[in-house]
Amino acid sequence: MATVKDKLIQEVNPGAPTVARSKVTIVGVGQVGMACAISILQANIADDVTLIDVMEDKLKGEVMDLQHGSLFLKTTITAAKDYSDTANSKLCIITAGVRQKEGESRLNLVQRNVEVFKHIIPNLAKYSPDAILLVVSNPVDILTYVAWKLSGFPSHRVLGSGTNLDSARFRFLIGEKLKINSTSVHGYIIGEHGDSSVPVWSGTNVAGVSLQSLNPNLDTGKDPEEWKNIHKQVVESAYEVIKLKGYTSWAIGLSVSSLAQSILKNLRIVHPVSYLIKGMHGIKEDVFLSLPCVLGSSGVCGVLKQPLKESETTRLKKSSETLWAVQKELKL
Amino acid sequence: MATVQEKLITPIAGGASEGPRNKVTVVGVGQVGMACAISILLRELPDELALVDVVEDRLKGEMMDLQHGSLFLKTPKIVADTDYTVTAGSRIVIVTAGVRQQEGESRLNLVQRNVNIFKHIIPQIVKHSPNCILVVVSNPVDIMTYVTWKLSGLPKHRVIGSGCNLDSARFRYLMAEKLSVHPTSFHGWILGEHGDSSVPVWSGANVAGVNLQTLNPDIGTDQDKEGWKETHKMVVDSAYEVIKLKGYTNWAIGMSVADLTESLTKNLSRIHPVSTMVKGMYGINEDVYLSLPCVLNNSGVSSVINMTLNAEEVAKLKKSADTLWGIQKDLKDL
Repeated sequence: MATVKDKLIQEVNPGAPTVARSKVTIVGVGQVGMACAISILQANIADDVTLIDVMEDKLKGEVMDLQHGSLFLKTTITAAKDYSDTANSKLCIITAGVRQKEGESRLNLVQRNVEVFKHIIPNLAKYSPDAILLVVSNPVDILTYVAWKLSGFPSHRVLGSGTNLDSARFRFLIGEKLKINSTSVHGYIIGEHGDSSVPVWSGTNVAGVSLQSLNPNLDTGKDPEEWKNIHKQVVESAYEVIKLKGYTSWAIGLSVSSLAQSILKNLRIVHPVSYLIKGMHGIKEDVFLSLPCVLGSSGVCGVLKQPLKESETTRLKKSSETLWAVQKELKL
Repeated sequence: MATVQEKLITPIAGGASEGPRNKVTVVGVGQVGMACAISILLRELPDELALVDVVEDRLKGEMMDLQHGSLFLKTPKIVADTDYTVTAGSRIVIVTAGVRQQEGESRLNLVQRNVNIFKHIIPQIVKHSPNCILVVVSNPVDIMTYVTWKLSGLPKHRVIGSGCNLDSARFRYLMAEKLSVHPTSFHGWILGEHGDSSVPVWSGANVAGVNLQTLNPDIGTDQDKEGWKETHKMVVDSAYEVIKLKGYTNWAIGMSVADLTESLTKNLSRIHPVSTMVKGMYGINEDVYLSLPCVLNNSGVSSVINMTLNAEEVAKLKKSADTLWGIQKDLKDL
C-alpha cells in the first residue's frame, strides 16, 4: 500500500546524489565548538555543518538540539559517526582539546593537545584533502604549526584563529573609550595570541586619523590617558571571563564565524590570523604568528606587508623564538 | 590637555542620545537564557540587550563575553546587573530564570520552586518596564506564564509563554525529515500543554495544502500502519532525550524564542503556537494558559486563531486545563 509520502510527492530524480558545496566540519562540541556552530548556522554561510567529537552522547545531544531548531535555520546539521562523515568539507574548524584552566597559560596546554591532534588532523586531511584547516584550540599558534605538520597541507590552507579575537576585543575597548562603534575603529593586534601579542598602535585609526598622531605618547608609560591599558585589558580578557563564567565562548564563536564567512564566500577580507610567518619581518623559523591576511576560498590569499616599528618586530622575533623552543621539543 | 577623543571628534547633536527603541532583557543567564541572548543578537533584533541574574560573577562574565563579540554584532549596547534598574525601558522581557528539569523530572514537579523565584523577579521587571511584553520560558511554562500574569498585573495579551512553539518546531522538523522536505514546508501544529500532554492537530497537518489525513485517514491513531503517531511521541520525549545526552537543552529553545521575539519586535503579525490565556475558549472556564495559534505583533498577542479541533482534541485541552488548575489553585501568595 502506498505510503503518505508516496501519495504526497511525485519523485522526479530519485537517488540523485546531493553534494554539499560549502560544508563546514567542526571538531569538538565543547562550549567553543558549539558557539562556533550556532554563530555559523545563524549567519547562513554553510550548506552543511558536521560536528564530530569523541564524547558520543554529548555529540548526539548537541546535534539533536541544533536539529530541533531546523525550522529556523537554512543548513543541514549532522553528527559524524566517524571521520568519513566529514568528507568533502571546504573548511574544518578544530576546537578540540583541553581548555585553559584558571590561571593556566596557553603554553602549558601544549603536549596535551598535540596528542589529541595526532588523532584528528590526519583523519581530517584524509577525508577532505582540499579543505582549509582553521585551528582554534590553544595555544593556537603552536597548534596551527602542529596541524600544518600533521596534515601535510600547503601552508596557505592552514591558519589559526590567532589574534582575530584579540583585535576584536581591542577595537571594542577603543570604541567604548571613544564612544564609536567598534567597526569604525581600525586597529590590529598581531603576533602571538595571548600574553605576548603586539598592538600596532601606529596603524590604529578612526576614519584614517591615526590616534597616535593625536597623542604621540599613546603606547608609552607617559600617557595620562593610559591608552596602553587597553592592550593590557585585551590580554587579561580571556583570564577574566574564565574566572567569572568558567570559560569563554561567545566572542570566539562570533570571530570564527566571521573568518568562516570570508573563506566560504571568497570575500578577500583582511583579518589578523595565525599564518606561517617565516620569511617575514626577519623571522627564520617555521612558526605561525598573526599578521593581517587576506582570506578567501583558497585560504590565505595574501599577507599585508604592514610597516612595523623596530620594537614591534623585535617582539615578533622574540615570540617566534619562544614558540620555536617549544615546537622543537614536540613529538610529532 | 585635550584627550584623543576631543581632538578626534567634533560633537554635533547635543545632550544624551535617545533611549533604546527595541530593548530586550533576558532574565537568567543559564544555558537557556544565553542561547536566547545569542540567537536574538545574531538576528540583529535589539538595539540594547540587558541580562539579569542573581549569580554576579557568571553574569558579568557572560556580559563581557558577548561584548567582546561586538565587532560582529549590530547591538551597540549590552549591559548586565543583578539590580533590575538595568532592565528599564525594555520592550520585551524574556524570563528563563528558575531551576531546570532534572533527568526524569516532569515539568509539573518544578512548580513551587520556580514560583518563589518569580515572586522576586516579576514585580521588579514590571516596575522598570511597565509597557513591556513578557515572554515566559521557565518550566512548567504554562503554569509559570499564569503565575507571571498574576504577579505582573499586566493585561493578558502582554504575557506570553513560549509554550508549544518549540514542540511544533520539533514536530515540523521530524515530520519533514520523514517526507524529505524542509521543515518550513511542512505545516503542523502542536497545541495545548507544553510537554507530555501536548496535542498534535493531525487534521491540519499538510504540505502545500495537501492534507496528510486525507491521504491517510488513520494518521495519528493507533490503527495507523505507518505509525505516524510515533512522531508526536518523539517530540514529547525530545527534551528528556537531549537532557540525558548533553545535560540540558538550549539551542532549539533559544532559536524558537528569538523567532517569537522577531515577530514581537518587528510587528510581523505572524502566527505562532504560544501559551496564552484560554479561559472562555473550548469550554474552558478556568484561568489557565495553554498554547493556541496566536497572531503576534508589537502589542503582544493581538488575536487567536479559532483552530478547528475534533472532540478528542478538545477533550485533551480541557483535561490539561483541569490538571493545570488543580496545581495553580494551591499555589501560595499570588
